[in-house]
Amino acid sequence: MKKIININFHSRVIPIEETAYEILQQYIDSLRLYFAHEEGRDEIISDIENRFSELFAENLKKGAACITDGDVNAIITSMGRPEEFEGEEAGTTADTGARASAGAGPAPGYTAGASQQSYTNAPEEPRRLYRAANDKVLGGVCAGLANYLRLDPAVVRILFVLISFGWGFGFLLYIILWIVLPTRALVANARKRLYRNSDDRVIAGVASGLAAYFHIDVWIPRLIFALPMILGIFTSIFQNVFFHMFHWGGHIFFDGFGGSLFVVYIVLWIVLPEAITASEKLEMRGEKVDLESIKNTVKSDLETFKGRAKEMGAEMGERMQQMGQQMGQQIRQSAQSFGTEAGAAVRKSNNGIGHAIGVLFKAFFLLIAGLIAFSLIIALTAVAFSTDGLLDLKHYILDGFWQNFLAWSSFALFLVLPVVALLTWLIRRITGMRSRKHYLGYVFATLWVIGLISFIVLVGMVMSNFRVRQHSEEEIALSQPSHGSMVIHAQQPTGRIYDDDWWFEGDWRHHGPFYNISDDSILLTTVQVKLLKSDDSSYHVRILRISRGNSSGSAMDHARQIVFPVSQSDSILLLAGGFPVSKDQKFRNQQVIVAVYIPIGKKIMIDRSVNHYEWFNLNPNNRHFHWEKWDSQWHDDDTWDEGSNMDNSYYWNSNVQYIMTSDGLSRVGEDRPEKTERPEKKERPEKKEREEAPEKSQPDNNGYRYKAPEKPARKTNADTPAAKSTTMLMVRRSSQFILLSTLCNTL
Amino acid sequence: MNIENTQSQMRKGILEFCILSVIRRGEAYPSDIVEEMKAANLNILEGTLYPLLTRLKNAEMLTYRWVESNSGPPRKYFSLTPKGEAFYGELEATWNELANAVHALTQKI
Repeated sequence: MKKIININFHSRVIPIEETAYEILQQYIDSLRLYFAHEEGRDEIISDIENRFSELFAENLKKGAACITDGDVNAIITSMGRPEEFEGEEAGTTADTGARASAGAGPAPGYTAGASQQSYTNAPEEPRRLYRAANDKVLGGVCAGLANYLRLDPAVVRILFVLISFGWGFGFLLYIILWIVLPTRALVANARKRLYRNSDDRVIAGVASGLAAYFHIDVWIPRLIFALPMILGIFTSIFQNVFFHMFHWGGHIFFDGFGGSLFVVYIVLWIVLPEAITASEKLEMRGEKVDLESIKNTVKSDLETFKGRAKEMGAEMGERMQQMGQQMGQQIRQSAQSFGTEAGAAVRKSNNGIGHAIGVLFKAFFLLIAGLIAFSLIIALTAVAFSTDGLLDLKHYILDGFWQNFLAWSSFALFLVLPVVALLTWLIRRITGMRSRKHYLGYVFATLWVIGLISFIVLVGMVMSNFRVRQHSEEEIALSQPSHGSMVIHAQQPTGRIYDDDWWFEGDWRHHGPFYNISDDSILLTTVQVKLLKSDDSSYHVRILRISRGNSSGSAMDHARQIVFPVSQSDSILLLAGGFPVSKDQKFRNQQVIVAVYIPIGKKIMIDRSVNHYEWFNLNPNNRHFHWEKWDSQWHDDDTWDEGSNMDNSYYWNSNVQYIMTSDGLSRVGEDRPEKTERPEKKERPEKKEREEAPEKSQPDNNGYRYKAPEKPARKTNADTPAAKSTTMLMVRRSSQFILLSTLCNTL
Repeated sequence: MNIENTQSQMRKGILEFCILSVIRRGEAYPSDIVEEMKAANLNILEGTLYPLLTRLKNAEMLTYRWVESNSGPPRKYFSLTPKGEAFYGELEATWNELANAVHALTQKI
């Protein structure tokens, strides 16, 4: 019982036994090999195939159902096996031509010449420089040179490309040689040739071709090509990620070594032919090209092909095989007819400039796709790494087992896992391991989705912890300063600056709201000093402690836990440097507002030391965490420029004395009304209504104090005024919070 | 000294001559050439013939044209070019010389 396949063999449809087909294939391959050094190789083989097909057709006409092994063998016997062929094995046109012109030379000379003809395949040709007509990318100059120098054409091509890229005159040289040199079908005379190995490829088979050429494992060249990219990932993580998160990009590809390797790959892709036929595959490995080895190669080719076909299902496989063969046949045929008509043997795999352009296009798209994948890896790694930084703070934010659990699972599954998966995939591609376990991908995907879900849940839970804002208020007992003026100082925080860590840099440390005072607590400096007009004749100081929580009760608890001591010695009011928040206490965006009420006619000065307070407001109610700058309320946003304001603020700040007038604060010694001044943000001289409001209303709680009490609607929801009036997203260098809010936004 | 080798060397020299002589008589299809040579008791493998024809064609001794056949695709029919004609003439002269010489030498005794 034998399987019969249909082949399109020289425009005849031939039903043929599969085994017979293999015999035929092997025979043709052996012919191809035998005539490898023959100028009219393709034509000869085409003629022979044609004859085969004719004889097959005759057999079928006689009533045979299909072509059997016997039929094929019979025809092969009549055709003769290559080793039985007689004639000039290595006969070249040069020989024939020489003989033709020599004509009927003296008989002894002729016989001598004939007896000299050996059975080796080495053509005895005068070495001259030609352009290769049969093995060309552009004009065949390189192949011609290679033939002359007895080198692999690929080597010459690579050199040419490098010279052209490097100095430009290579191209000129090429054009000149193209014009000057005569064309000629040439026989490759290098034993070993560089090919692209199409059987084992990631992109174009360049690396595996190199591996075959040098007899090394395929992962070595792959790693060499991929290493700059992998290294690029890591260097970019360490150098670029945190502070140039949005600037990393393609430059890694084009940076130095990696870039040149990338170019080398593309050049090789263009320059190297693909090893298609059995003899080419043997040449690629530098193995001896003889009948036996070619038979083996063809056999193993067929076997792997069969194996694959079986895997895909016999039916499907067969159809594919047929299709492939038919297509191959047709291509070959058209190439052949073109070849015969043009009178030149054109190698089908090398159609010159079209190939080069095609490769460049492919490379371009691959580059784009590569960049995208690459960006993805870097972005994910960056997020994973900076989240690792956030983990230090997680004790202050996360509450309870579930939140911690979710934090870990989303960190591991949502951020780290994709990086691992991508790297795994990359390494597998490089080492050429083919995964037979397709479920691995599903497992990765499922875990990632779990990570995503837990991340979303976590964000929701954390945000709910910041849902409600509450404050408690307390009046500080004050003894009235004797000179009618008061100076406000703040203690400098003593703890190590929290973010003084390898992953933070630069300005952040000077502006960051976190100071680390011990292992399990941080010092917050979200403190504001507000100056208000007192409605009686004495100074008052009120401390407002604000916190968020998931309920008004817990928010109030958190607020009450804030410890913010204020001490007074006569005219000096000394504020604490900040307030500690412990891991148990949790970070709930606690804030302190120090409201100083200044009676009319009395002076106030705020010391520079107060500047280290850093105010920010996380407001989850807009569905985002906003980093809000409280002060923006008191500055006209149009003209507010942070940099210049900072400069000004120092000037204004350094012990500038203000006096409270009935119109508000004004600088001592100047008549200018307060309005024209640019108050420094920390110092915040009043907006009038704002100040007056609290005094009037001010019983207790039940509302946000500094918002106009005459609008009770606002009081009920403590957060909204802040949210609405001060929606200024701080785009500072504070990467953690940017990151956090970016994450939230993207979700 | 290998007898087969010598024989094949002897044949090799005359194969081209014979093929050209067959084609000279009129356009010929390769398998016809094989048949004709077989009939004359000069066996030649088709696998030997095709390369020879191609080489001769590439040396411009032969030319061919496609002839429609009633079964299947068109066939190549070969014919001699003027150059091939001249080549044949010279081969013929050489052959006659050789044949005479060989005859004279072998029949002498």
